[in-house]
Amino acid sequence: MQKFFSNKKLIILMILIIVTFGLLAITVNIRDKKNTPPVVQQVGNDVVSVVGGVFAYPTNAVKNATSEFSDLYNTYSENKRLKERIGELAQNQAKLEVVQDENKKLKQELKLNSTLTDYSTVNASVLSRSPSSWQNYLTINRGTTSGIKKNMPVMSGKGLIGRIVEADKISSKVELISTNNELNDKFAAEIIGNNKNITGVVSRYDSDTGDLVMENVNSTKDIKKGQSVITSGLGGLTPRGLYIGKVYGIKKDNYGMTNSVYITPAAELRNFTVVTVIKSSVHGEE
Amino acid sequence: MTIKNRKIFGQVLFILIAFYLDGLMKWAFLNNMNRGTVIILPQLMLMAIVMLTMRIEDRRQLIIYGVVFGVIYDSYYYGIIGLYTVLLPLLMVGIDHFRFLLIKNNMGYDLSIYFLALTFLQSGIYLLEKLLQQTSTDALDFITFTLGPTLLWNILVFFLLYVPLAKLSEWLVKYRRDK
Repeated sequence: MQKFFSNKKLIILMILIIVTFGLLAITVNIRDKKNTPPVVQQVGNDVVSVVGGVFAYPTNAVKNATSEFSDLYNTYSENKRLKERIGELAQNQAKLEVVQDENKKLKQELKLNSTLTDYSTVNASVLSRSPSSWQNYLTINRGTTSGIKKNMPVMSGKGLIGRIVEADKISSKVELISTNNELNDKFAAEIIGNNKNITGVVSRYDSDTGDLVMENVNSTKDIKKGQSVITSGLGGLTPRGLYIGKVYGIKKDNYGMTNSVYITPAAELRNFTVVTVIKSSVHGEE
Repeated sequence: MTIKNRKIFGQVLFILIAFYLDGLMKWAFLNNMNRGTVIILPQLMLMAIVMLTMRIEDRRQLIIYGVVFGVIYDSYYYGIIGLYTVLLPLLMVGIDHFRFLLIKNNMGYDLSIYFLALTFLQSGIYLLEKLLQQTSTDALDFITFTLGPTLLWNILVFFLLYVPLAKLSEWLVKYRRDK
């Protein structure tokens, strides 16, 4: 026995390996199964994020300024194009208001309190992005005190960018939709067609083309390039009607058995400093 | 506050700023989210750590730095604890152990140590994440699209920032004992 434990370095190595795998396994399990990490980790992350804000605000200001500068280049042609759309937009807005109003009244009539399309929002600014290849996280400066929960969808100005993967007290982490990860969460989506909506699941991200891939599509007959894709609100905390992107094309898999629809994401995953967290009014399981 | 404590405070501040710069660099400049398979990970904190490790003699202090900043890094950026927490102190002790091979601190030594440290760290993280099925990337893709560009970018930045970094870390470590 004396001899067995005599090599101090070996024992240190052994303990080190046990501790490493223990810590990793525990934290991965907590992340996947629990709604919030342990309090110590929450407080730690919050403190780090508060101090990080000091550095993040000037960076975001610079980021905004540079994107404004690049916007300035295309202003003239864009302005011309947009002027044509303005009249159309005002019309649509008026129509939307009337329809929304009607919708509200009809819901009251039917005694529907909230449906899959109802949601409220929380705005948050981005503090940093993880320097990691496989944990594609953004840290934002709102947390459970603002009502943020795990798995809530997150949008930027134009479309869906990801979902909350960890909610601390006053900060949280957003996993980007562009994460090419076997275990990442999937979005139930639907393609808006002329007469029939086609449902499926946005399940992975093709990093070669920068497209999202929608699988489990029931029929590809009526899908055309350029059709809009929105979340379908089936399952979980995602409401219906969040804009994901446009259909880019359809590919068959190697065996010709299933079809995958490639979607160009609407969200410019580059030039934004503020994100919107969507709180669905209908609570699903969890 | 004694000079020693002041110096330690300075060292911690130095590493912390580098820590935040990692996330901000990735967010502001290397933010290829839409397109591109090449992933560049800024590792400025590792630069600060390597520079300080090459100059601090006290191994206990090194291990404390490694564990503390490892835990913060893991918790804040990765959400999984156990990657930097273990690899960082291991790396620092490794550098400290082979210090006798280095005759003096110059750019060549610092650069090659940083190169080795970065390779060790990124490969270690890759292996651990692969073991825990956090990634499905195969080894060749990892080397081509992550490790290669990351090494290239960081070595370039290290080269450009070497003189101020070296001066600063020298100043942060060396002091005359006060009475």
